[in-house]
Amino acid sequence: MTSTPTSALPIAARVPPGLPAAELLDATREYGSGNALVRALDGVSIAFPAGSWTAVMGPSGSGKSTLLHCAAGLDRVTRGRVLLAGQEITGAPDRVLTGLRRRTMGFVFQSFNLIGSLTAEQNVALPLKLAGARVRRADVRAVLASVGLGDRLRHRPRELSGGQQQRVAIARAMVTRPAVLFADEPTGALDSASARTVLGLLRTMVDREGQSIAMVTHDPAAAAHADAVVFMSDGRLVDRLVRPTAREVADRLARLEAAPC
Amino acid sequence: MLTLALNTFRERWRLFAGAITAVALGVALVQSSLLVMVATDRAPIPAGVTGRAREELREGYAGAATLLGMTVMLSAFLTVFIVSSTFAFTVAQRRRDLALLRLVGGGRGQLVLLLLGEALLLGLTGTAAGVLVGLPATWLQARLLIALGFLPGGFPLVWDGGVLIASGCVGITVALVGVLAAARRAAKVRPLDALRDTGGAARVMTPMRWLAGLSCLAFTIWMVSLAQSADLLGAMLMGLGISIMGAVSLSALSPLVVPLAGRVVGAVLRTSTLGELAQANLRDGVRRSASTAAPLIVLVALLLGLTGTLGSLALMSGEEQRHLVRGDLVVTSTGADLDRIESVPGVAAASPQISLSMSVTARHHEANRTWRQTHYSGIVAIDAAAYARTHDLHVRAGSLARLRGRTIALGPGMAESGIRVGSTVTAAISGHKTRLKVVAALRATLENYSETFLVPRDLVPASTIATAKAETVIRLAPGTSRSTARTAMRAAGADKVQTVPQWADTRTAAQQRGNMGILAVLMGMAGGYAVVAVINAVMIAGTERRTEFAAARVTGLTRPQVIRAALIESWAVTAIGLVLGCTVAAGALAGMLAASLRAAGRPLVDVPWTLLGITTLAAFAVTGAASIWTTFSATKPRPVALLAARE
Repeated sequence: MTSTPTSALPIAARVPPGLPAAELLDATREYGSGNALVRALDGVSIAFPAGSWTAVMGPSGSGKSTLLHCAAGLDRVTRGRVLLAGQEITGAPDRVLTGLRRRTMGFVFQSFNLIGSLTAEQNVALPLKLAGARVRRADVRAVLASVGLGDRLRHRPRELSGGQQQRVAIARAMVTRPAVLFADEPTGALDSASARTVLGLLRTMVDREGQSIAMVTHDPAAAAHADAVVFMSDGRLVDRLVRPTAREVADRLARLEAAPC
Repeated sequence: MLTLALNTFRERWRLFAGAITAVALGVALVQSSLLVMVATDRAPIPAGVTGRAREELREGYAGAATLLGMTVMLSAFLTVFIVSSTFAFTVAQRRRDLALLRLVGGGRGQLVLLLLGEALLLGLTGTAAGVLVGLPATWLQARLLIALGFLPGGFPLVWDGGVLIASGCVGITVALVGVLAAARRAAKVRPLDALRDTGGAARVMTPMRWLAGLSCLAFTIWMVSLAQSADLLGAMLMGLGISIMGAVSLSALSPLVVPLAGRVVGAVLRTSTLGELAQANLRDGVRRSASTAAPLIVLVALLLGLTGTLGSLALMSGEEQRHLVRGDLVVTSTGADLDRIESVPGVAAASPQISLSMSVTARHHEANRTWRQTHYSGIVAIDAAAYARTHDLHVRAGSLARLRGRTIALGPGMAESGIRVGSTVTAAISGHKTRLKVVAALRATLENYSETFLVPRDLVPASTIATAKAETVIRLAPGTSRSTARTAMRAAGADKVQTVPQWADTRTAAQQRGNMGILAVLMGMAGGYAVVAVINAVMIAGTERRTEFAAARVTGLTRPQVIRAALIESWAVTAIGLVLGCTVAAGALAGMLAASLRAAGRPLVDVPWTLLGITTLAAFAVTGAASIWTTFSATKPRPVALLAARE
């Protein structure tokens, strides 16, 4: 095992120095064939810098989710290359990808995707157990406490609010101290107060521990929490803003959506 | 992984209830069958019984062992069937959960382990229940075997702790074997499926299913075509084969066949709004429809196919007896009354057949084996000349005309025993041992328990004949009134006077009773499993449709309308299952029809209408009740609560 959850190493150091946390090089992803051919990604090259938070925005169908899935090795690119923490994963076998999911990646989704029959504590401990690592309850509790749920250990997902469930999901993603956290609309199903809590939590993780985050979102307010925002349209990258305000993001998005096809 | 398995198991026990019941049933049956078999093995043959009684006991035990062996095989097969379809369901239902496990770092092997763990828990629970149920089941089974005549009354049961090991092994093995296919499918779930609703895992027709379904179908069609030109025995064997293979084939292909048949039913259903909804659901929920229809197809095909085939065989065997005997009446009496019956006015020919309690020890030859065996049952004394006048003789070897003095002939029951014509056998008549020469051998008939040996009447002392039971074939002189003759026969001491067709029917009915008893036990058991499987499928499908029902209610359907639409759907699937099962059974009986047309010149096919009627009613009642109950409980919460709780 290259790393244990208790390693004191700062998270940013889990990516070799100078390399991006995740990178797509000239990546193309096509679905279907013939007349029904859809090109969800069209020669995209993008790097998600280590120790920073990148948001991906774009109109529906612009390919932003596909970008995230390909970067995380959940979907395969038709052409091009994909690198994760400096490691080539373009054609990696399932075994290698499973290993990476255990140690190098974390996932947070719009639908919280917790296992209903397990308590918050068990849900968080699950990735460690699957990786065959020794599970220390203190670690699990510390992670849950860091997302503000130290008093909800024994609750099952259905006994928690949406915001609390999402925080459990974040704790589950963070317990393995992954090099990169992939987030797909993490605030999409939350009310605005819960959304603010979750975004604040992610921001803290980047600032304090140098966590790398790649996030897809619809919400300009969510994107404004990121260090950089990239915009996609029709499977291509079309713009990039650094540390924008929510208003700037919303204006850029509105122009994209109004653009003639 | 085991914790997770335990959690899932606790959370989803309702989903597993049917499979647990099936495992419990299987374990109970295996355990009770083994215990009865152990008991027959240990049962002492009482001292001082006659050789004939000993032979009957032994034959009964052998029959019981056959029946029990078939019970064990069938119940193991059906349990695996139910467990595997339950797990196929749970894997399809939990695809998101399983994909999620992959997403947070679960390997393929771990998913397989998870399902194996669940199957292990299921097997353990089922086995524990089965061991308890097995105790009364042993007693019940012994009573049943006594009632069927396989075991003597007051048969002593024994207990052997060893069967517990067997029960445990069977329960757990069956559960693990049942989960294998589902585990393989679970391992193929991709992590991305957690985020999407469709994908490769949603496919119902897997390559294995295609392969199994199509190869069985091809084999079935081949057998149906072959059966058209086969002789009776071949047609019968093929009928049994067609029933089994056809059932397996159609149930494997049911995800294709059921929606196809649904289009036909759809023409009727589309006339009402609810019917239209039901028909759309039937075609959309392929897995659900197929899992309800499959056990019905298997049950109906086996039930009607096997019963019909054996029933037709009985009909033809009766027909054969009618043709073999050329007489007007058959009279049952004691040997003492024979002379008076033969001298009734108007009797042109009388051929008595006297059942003897004697033994014959003969040497059998088979391939490169030879052994001596003593026979007790089915030995009769005849008058060769009279016998030839009143029977359509089919002699395989030798001549019945030489059956005089110290001779013996092989009856139809010994036709395939390997005793050679010309050899010498030892007979024991009334305590005297005599050596008899085998002078003739009759051809085999369709009957199961025909006469084994024929000895000349003059060989048997009159005192022995006087107390024996006799059946006499009577040919009346032209112009003699049957009713007058009957009255005269009764006056002469006859116990029973029957026409030849009456006699043939009674005789075949008695001989088929054993067969039908075995069939009834096996099919009753298969029926029990089918009920478990159908209820299981309907209930699992109903529980997973809570949100769908809620959406229908939000769209404007009332709760009773939702329940009715689901009921129409279930009944349509039931009808499809029954029709497909009947199709297989018809294929099996087509061979019997062709064989009977060739052999007898008229159709002799026993279609078990009553059984079909009962099965149909029971199938509709069971699926209807299960559907109403599950839809009723699935629509209990307010629809909005269910729809909102989706994410």
